[in-house]
This record gives sequence, structure tokens and C-alpha cells, in this order.
Amino acid sequence: MKDQIPAIEADALARISAATDERALEDARVAVLGKKGSLTLAAAGMKDVPKEEKGAVGQLLNAARASITAALEAKQSALQEIADRAALAGIDTTLPARELPIGGLHPLTLIRDEAIAILRRMGFALADGPEIEDEFHCFDALNTPADHPARNEKDTFYFDSGKLLRTHTSSVQVRTMESAKPPIRIIAPGSAYRRDEIDATHLSVFNQLEGLYVASDVSLPDLKGTLEYFLQELFGSNTEVRFRPHFFPFTEPSFEIDVKLTVKGQEPRWIEVAGCGMVDPAVFEAINKSRKDQAFDPETTTGFAFGMGLDRLAMIRWGIRDIRLLIENDIRFLKQF
Amino acid sequence: MNISLNWLSTHLDLAGKSIREIDDLLTFAGVEVEGIVPKGVSSEKIVVAQIKEAVQHPNADRLKVTQVDAGEGTLRQIVCGAQNYKVGDKVPCALPGAELPGGFTINETVMRKVESKGMLCAASEIGLPAGEDGLLILPADAEIGRPVKQLFDSDVLLELEVTPNRPDLLSHRGMARELAALLKTPLKPLPKGGTGGPPVSSSSIQIDAPDACPLYSAIRISGVTVKESPAWLKERLESIGLRPINNIVDVTNFVLHELGQPLHAFDAAKIGGGLVVRHARDGESFTALDESEHSLVGDDLVISDTTGATLALAGVMGGLASGVTETTRDIVLESAYFTSQGIRRTSRRTALSSDSSYRFERGVDPQGVIPAAALAVKLILETAGGSADAAIQLAGEAPVITKPVALDAAKLDQLMGGSIALADAEQILTRLGLSKRSDGAWEIPSFRADLQRHIDLVEEIARVHGLANVPSRMLGTFVPASAIDAAYDADMVLRRRLAALGLYECQTIKLISDAQVADALPLRPLQDGDTIRVKLPLSEDHAVMRPSMIPGLVASAVRNVRQQAKSLRLFEMGRVFRNAGGGKSKDQESETLGILLSGPTRPVGWDQAEHIADPFDLKGLVAALIPGASIRFSPKDREGFAIACDIRAGDQSIGVFARLLPSRERELDFNTPVFVAELDLGKVRKLLKGIEHVAELPQFPGSSRDAAMEVASTLPNSEIEGVITKCAEALLVDFECFDVFTDPSGAKLAADRKSLAYRFHYRASDRTLKAEEIDAAHQRVLNALSEKAGVRFR
Repeated sequence: MKDQIPAIEADALARISAATDERALEDARVAVLGKKGSLTLAAAGMKDVPKEEKGAVGQLLNAARASITAALEAKQSALQEIADRAALAGIDTTLPARELPIGGLHPLTLIRDEAIAILRRMGFALADGPEIEDEFHCFDALNTPADHPARNEKDTFYFDSGKLLRTHTSSVQVRTMESAKPPIRIIAPGSAYRRDEIDATHLSVFNQLEGLYVASDVSLPDLKGTLEYFLQELFGSNTEVRFRPHFFPFTEPSFEIDVKLTVKGQEPRWIEVAGCGMVDPAVFEAINKSRKDQAFDPETTTGFAFGMGLDRLAMIRWGIRDIRLLIENDIRFLKQF
Repeated sequence: MNISLNWLSTHLDLAGKSIREIDDLLTFAGVEVEGIVPKGVSSEKIVVAQIKEAVQHPNADRLKVTQVDAGEGTLRQIVCGAQNYKVGDKVPCALPGAELPGGFTINETVMRKVESKGMLCAASEIGLPAGEDGLLILPADAEIGRPVKQLFDSDVLLELEVTPNRPDLLSHRGMARELAALLKTPLKPLPKGGTGGPPVSSSSIQIDAPDACPLYSAIRISGVTVKESPAWLKERLESIGLRPINNIVDVTNFVLHELGQPLHAFDAAKIGGGLVVRHARDGESFTALDESEHSLVGDDLVISDTTGATLALAGVMGGLASGVTETTRDIVLESAYFTSQGIRRTSRRTALSSDSSYRFERGVDPQGVIPAAALAVKLILETAGGSADAAIQLAGEAPVITKPVALDAAKLDQLMGGSIALADAEQILTRLGLSKRSDGAWEIPSFRADLQRHIDLVEEIARVHGLANVPSRMLGTFVPASAIDAAYDADMVLRRRLAALGLYECQTIKLISDAQVADALPLRPLQDGDTIRVKLPLSEDHAVMRPSMIPGLVASAVRNVRQQAKSLRLFEMGRVFRNAGGGKSKDQESETLGILLSGPTRPVGWDQAEHIADPFDLKGLVAALIPGASIRFSPKDREGFAIACDIRAGDQSIGVFARLLPSRERELDFNTPVFVAELDLGKVRKLLKGIEHVAELPQFPGSSRDAAMEVASTLPNSEIEGVITKCAEALLVDFECFDVFTDPSGAKLAADRKSLAYRFHYRASDRTLKAEEIDAAHQRVLNALSEKAGVRFR
């Protein structure tokens, strides 16, 4: 017995060492440590070992088992390492990707969201109103005389019902003031419609962003500070902004706003981006009449309004030359944003 | 409106002012400068040259090879295509390096193998008014080699956009008056008119419509010679792009652009008796000067004679029959004040517009009527001879269209943010021609009818002071977020999710064609009368308000297919429009999300097979878009679509799914099935609200059991799901279908049967389940399936 153990151990270690794969190693383990394995059988022989030798034989057995187990584990990890190495070899990571579908937001959404984010930081809340409007909200309340050219059937889409497609988002100013009292600080993105033939610079349906701030001491400095800040946030903090006097029926004084843009390789140019002005007292009077109260007393209420074309902002931002690209949805165009 | 800088300079001294300064001045006065066009020859390198020889070009029938003397000592060879000259003529020659209008620079070149060292020029090629075809023939005494620019006056044409509130700027005098105020320089005095005494009231003019025409004047000039205008007059008109016609017409046009008052000259021989200003008779026919025919209505204002013959459509256009012709000997010159609304209505209704109607529509200066007539008389006498009546005849009187306006210093201060002193503000008003009365209110000049209210004065002050001189203030009130804010945020979440799921956002035009309505898949099917049509569409392609997102998405997909796009994954969010109940409920606007999938759902790669979009891709997309909502498709036929379903989340319907009819797909050249869905954004936003409380995670393990089931192939899967859900097995926490097998050949499974494999997950929240409990629960589910759905287990 005492002599058998070293032989069993040597044989076992040799088999383990000779194993070249998991299977052979498992066979070796079973042959030595399995139910009928050589060391298991040897251990079973302990009962026949004389009592005085039991201690020494036991020690021998344990030492043999320990060395065999250690060899098995070592071999196991060596084989695993070889297998791992084999598994990792031959992976050509320079092959092309397994592509996922990629989508994107429309440029108008991007510019609108950017503008809205800036204005919301400045404390404006969103508002909206119907696109199929009536003459009161689109024109009358906005101090636009009944024979104003914009009300022409040649310039504005009408319906048989007498309603019309709003020609500007300014109608939302009226809707908002009818249902809320000052202070009002809103922005209203939305579609507007004009009977323009569609070409490289015109769409019959286009997108605007309207703004309105009405309170008790709103002044030209507020209008100037607000819009300068907004445009510098949108176009860059060093952007020059200028206000040109203009005319709109529903604001007085009125201005158009230009920003000075530098396109690489070109002289800097002033580009018109928005219209604005102080709310005309006639608008407040019309609102009061509609509300049947004096919530917008023109003697004490002042405000400013502004509006800009989002399609135009997108065209300026990305150098889009043909506005029709914004409604054609060519994926080759959309995937660039 | 066009303004000539030379012409403008006859009214005020602009010496030393650059074009850039004038541009800025106008811009900040509120006049948009749309174009600045230098007139005349600008380059020094365009010189007088004499043609010494011209021979046929050897290689081109239409070209000649000329030798010209440009004063350089040697002759210059130039190839030229013009035909209108003869050898010995003097013409403009652009030498190499000369820059022509339009930024075109002349170089030495070879034309059809013959050298050409410059270019002989036509008038239009060097910035002069276009003359006869071919080269500009210069006077015989022009000095050879001299720059051509020295032979012609230069000018600058300003193309200006005047806002509708400022009709007083629609003339050279008016524009000069504004610039003089801004520049603080005096206006040059106007020349004296050409009539002797003051105007006299006349019984030969009868105004039947004093509201539409408060003041009408006329003066007869006899014995005129209608002929070509003198050079100075033609030049003035040409300088602003007008075509000279004859001296009489040219004078009226000149005065209109000089003073802003429209005039009209009648052939006196065509007037029977006196003049009557009256409304037209309904149905009265009128032939305008431009030979257009019109049937008038009672609202139109006409000038007629006492016989009733209509001579002119007042303020809009003269009549063909009464106009000045070459044979006219005596004329009657009209200068009148017509109110703007009537002229605007008539001009619009008849689609006739003229420089006259343009000014009357916006409003002319009532005090300008007589001075304009007087100036015209003087000029007609000068250019056409003849003799004028002693005085201008008139009827009615100049209306007073302005009233004094007070300036409130406190309000001015508030609005301007204290940026201008009252004295400075008052000085601005004074410069603009207003005068302060003893009662403190401001007298408004008759040409500024736009100044009616306090705010109008403030506007003038702000405009002239300039916003550049107003401080910026960054302040604002706090306001609460609105329901629109919440909706916008939800929509942006959806947009970003859809983009992350590989879809491109579209933006389509909201006006579609009738034909496109066939592709509409609104949440509620359309009935007759439910679509909303605009009254006067620009074209039939854009006539109907979209009732659904799908037509626009289909059109976008078609466009992309034509560009060889294979994978179509598109969405659009926005408003749709309809009436409801066959038009009973009008103008409903709602917001929806449209989705279109067709073709490969992902790029094909070296180890990635193509997968063509099918209904389950779209269903999965909707489920991923609204996580947590149990999305189900419940089949419901839709006319014009295949395999249509209601999209349901829990117990509510949130949208519609369908495939285009295969015939429609073929018609539109799609090679793969096109699946579309339209979702009600109002409902979807609510489903995005998220959870109120998190669920506790399970504390005890669960276990699953599989079941292979055989059912009739026509049995919808939803029936099986329904039975499982309805049996309400307490331990069943989840289940899924993981295989569907059919065999149309009938070999492995009868052709009218299908085999479904389901996995059922069981778990209790308070304990680890014993195998027997799970088996019993599983058996209860299977029993329900076999009893209620006729399922056979394999």
C-alpha cells in the first residue's frame, strides 16, 4: 500500500500532463479520483492497513490527492487559457460594423428646439392656437384694416366658411390675451400660410416663432435687451444685432432685426432674421373689447411682440439654398443633421 | 420704388455723401434699400475707338475681324459679332482689364482661332440704357482714346421698399424731405408752377361722389404739340426705369415721381361737355389704356363727361378712347384727391394697378393736388407749347385728414427707457415738419396722415433716435409653464425616441391634393364632407388640408424611392385637419404622429441578412415608443388599405395601422410592402406620463413551463392571449409566444392547423413555489386553453 501510492501519484500526474484537451483531462480525473479511480480504490484500501501505519499512509494519500488536484487545476487553467487564446485569435476587428439603423430629427425641429430652449431659459412659456383662424384673430384684433392687402384672397387662403389659414402666428397673441391677464410672457411656434407659389425661397406653408411679453412697464429697452440676448445665444455671443425701423399694423414702433453673419470666404453680411415692436395700443383695445373688460388697459399696459421665420433660420444656420429641401424629406438631406 | 440719385439731388444737397451713407440713412429711417444700381459707364478702360477695317472672320459666318484705333498708336484687332456699324464709326471699346457691369472682366482671347484683344460694346453692355441692337455708335466728334464714361452722365438707381404707412415717401420730393430732416439740411425750393391766378371753383366739374372724391381739379391746355419729350425729361424717366411715351404723358409721369401726386391728361376733343365724377353704373363697360376690358360695378369711381361717356377709371387708369394721342391738340389735365379704400377695391377687383392707383391706395397729400397741377402745366407749356386756361378749375375742397396730436412726456420716457430728453424728441418732430401749437399739441403736416395718435409720435421719435441709442434691459416676469409646454416636452421625447429607433423625421406641406386624400389613414375614417378644401388653391396639388399624416409620408417615401433609397423609416408629427360627421362638426385640428416603414429594417452587412419590414416591426416600434403600455393590434378593416388594425394600448384605441394596398404600392413603384401607422398624440402623451410608484422587485424565484399547442390556422393569436388573460391564474406572472409553425404542404402538420409554442412564467410574491403548485397552476391554464380555445397540446 505504502509503495503503491507514489506509483499511483506518478501515473496520475503523467496522465494529467499528457492530456491535451478538456476531455482527456476529465478522463484522467475519473481514472484517478472517480468512484473507481486508482486513488479512490487505494483510499478504500485504508481499512486493511495496520493501525500503526494508518497515520503515515493517510498522510501519503492526502499528499498524493493534493498534488493530483493541484495538477488537475493547473492543467485545467492552462487548457482554458489555450482555448481562450484560440477563441480570441482570428477575430478581425477591422471588418465593417454590424450597422444599426440610424435616424434623425428634421432641421426645423432642431432649430425650433434650440430657439425654444433659449427662450424658455429666459422665462417664456409655450402657447398655441388654431391654424384655421377667423378674420378677427388673424387681422381685426391685430389692427389690420379691412382693406389691407394681406387680407386679399390672392395672398391669403380662405375657406367657404369665411375662415382662413392664419397668415402669421401673431393670431396666437390674440388668443392668449383673450384667455389670460397680464403678465403674459409666451412664445408660440407654429405654421403659417400665404398664397405664395412654391419656389426656392417661398413656401405656401411655413414655420414661425412668435413671442409676446405684456406687463405694466415693458419698454423698448426690454425689447432690445431680450432680442439681442436671444439672437446672441442663437448665433453666437459676439454676433452684431441691429434694429431697423419698419412697419407692422400690430406694433408701434416696429423694427426688423438683422444679424451680421460671416460665411467663410465671404464679406460679413447683415441678414434679416425677425420682426418686432411694441404692441400697438389698438391691439389692447381690441382685446379688451373681445374680453369685455379692461384687463389690458392701454394707458397702463405695455408689451412687445416678435416673430421670426424658422425655415429662414434653418436656411441661414446650415447654408440651405433651396427652401424646398425642407419639405422634400430626401433622406440624403435629412441624414446630414 | 425707384429713386434716381441725380434726380434726388435736385431737391437736396447730397454732395459729399457716399452711397453707403445714404443707404444707412434710408435703412435706419425705415426704408428698405433693396438694390443700389450704378448707372453709366464705370470703367476707365472703356474708350472711344474708331473702326478702321472690318473683314469676314475666316471660321465664323456671323463674326467679323476688325482693326480699331483706340488712340494707342497701333491698331487693335478685335473680333465682333455686331452688324450695325460701318468702317469709320466710333464705338466704345473695352480694353483688356476693363470690368463690365455684372463683374465681367475683359481679357485678350482667341475666338475661333483668331486673336481678339478687347471687346466692342453695345450700350447695355457698359451700363447705359439699351439702345438699338448692336454697337453703341458714338458721335463722330468723340475724341479717340478718351474714356467713354466722360461722354455720359453717371447716376445711381436706388431700389427702395417703402412701408405702407409712408405714402409721403413715394416721390423724389417726399424722399428728399425725409432725408433733409434726418440730415438736418434744408430742402432746395421747388420751381414755381405755370398758372397765373389761384384755382377757381367751376361748374363744369360735377362731383357726384364727394366721399370718394372730395377734391377734383382740371385745367385745359390748348394747342399742344404731342411729340417726343426733350432729352432731360426722357433721361429723368429712364433713370428710374420708365419708358418715355410722349411729352404730355411724360410730364404727368414726371410730376407723379417728382411730387407723388398722380395726374391724368385727357384729349379734350373726346370730352363731351363738362366732367362728372360719379360711381359707375353696374355692368358699365370700360376699356382701359392698356386695352383691357372691364365690366364695372357701382362701387367703382369713374370720370365721365356730361354725355355719360366714361373717360377714366378714377385714380386707376385712363380710358383708351379719351387718352392723349399724336393727333391730340387740346388736353384737359386732371389732378384730384381720391380716397384710398375705393381705389384699392377697384384696383383689386379689376386687377388693374398703376403708379397712380399705388399712390392713391396708400393716400396722397390733399394739399399737393393743386401744386402738382401747376407744375405739370408749366412743364407742358415748356415741352408741348400751347396755352393754358388762366386758372385751374376745381370742385370740392381739400379734405383735412390730420388733427393735432399731444405728446405725453411721461409715456415717452417710459417707452424709450429714458434714453432721450424731451427737447431732443421735440426737435425730431420739428425736423419732420410737425409744429408745436400754443396748447402744446403737435400740428401734423397734411402729407403725414399716418400720424394720428400719441404712439405714432413716439414711433417717429424712436425711429429717428434709433434703437442703437436705447439701452438694453434684461428683465422679465416669472410665468408658470403651460399645458402646451408639457405637450411640447412629450413630443420631443417621442421625436428623440423615434430618431434613436432609426427613423428620420419628415416635414411635409399641410396642403395636399384630392388624389392624396386616398392615402389618408385618420383615426376615424373620413366621410364625405369631412375634408377641408381652401377656396382658391394655388394648384390642385395643394388644395386640401391634410386629414392625416400618411399622404405626406407616402409622397416623401415615393420621392426617396425615386432616388434609389431602399430602407424607408419615416415619421412626422403635427396637425391634421378635418370636419367630422360629414361636415357637421367643423374645423377640427388635432395632433398626430405618422410612421411609415418599408424595405430593409437595418443595413445589410457582411454577416447580416436583409430583413424586409413587416407588420411586427411596426408593432415593435410602437411598443418601444411607449414602453409600459401593452400595445395590441386589433384587426379592423379600412377602405383602401390592407390588413388594417386599430392600435390599442390597454383598453383604449390610440391609433391605426395598415399596409397600403399592394395595387397602390405597385402604382407608386414601391418594391417592398409599405406599412403605416397614425397615432393620436393626445393619447400617446398621456401614456408617456410614467409611473407614480416603483414596483417592489420579486423576493422569491419563479419558474417556467412550456406548452406546444395546435390550433386551427385561422385562430388569431389574440384569442389565445385572451383566454390566458381571462383565466386569471394567480401564479401566472407572464407568458410569451416563442414559436409559430405551419406546414402548407401538410406533411408535418395538417395544412389548416398551426403549432404555437408558449412559455408561461409562474411565481408567488410570498414564497418559493413547489413544483406541484406550479404544475397545478400550469394545468389550470392549459385546461382553460383547451376548453375555451379548442387548443390541442402536443
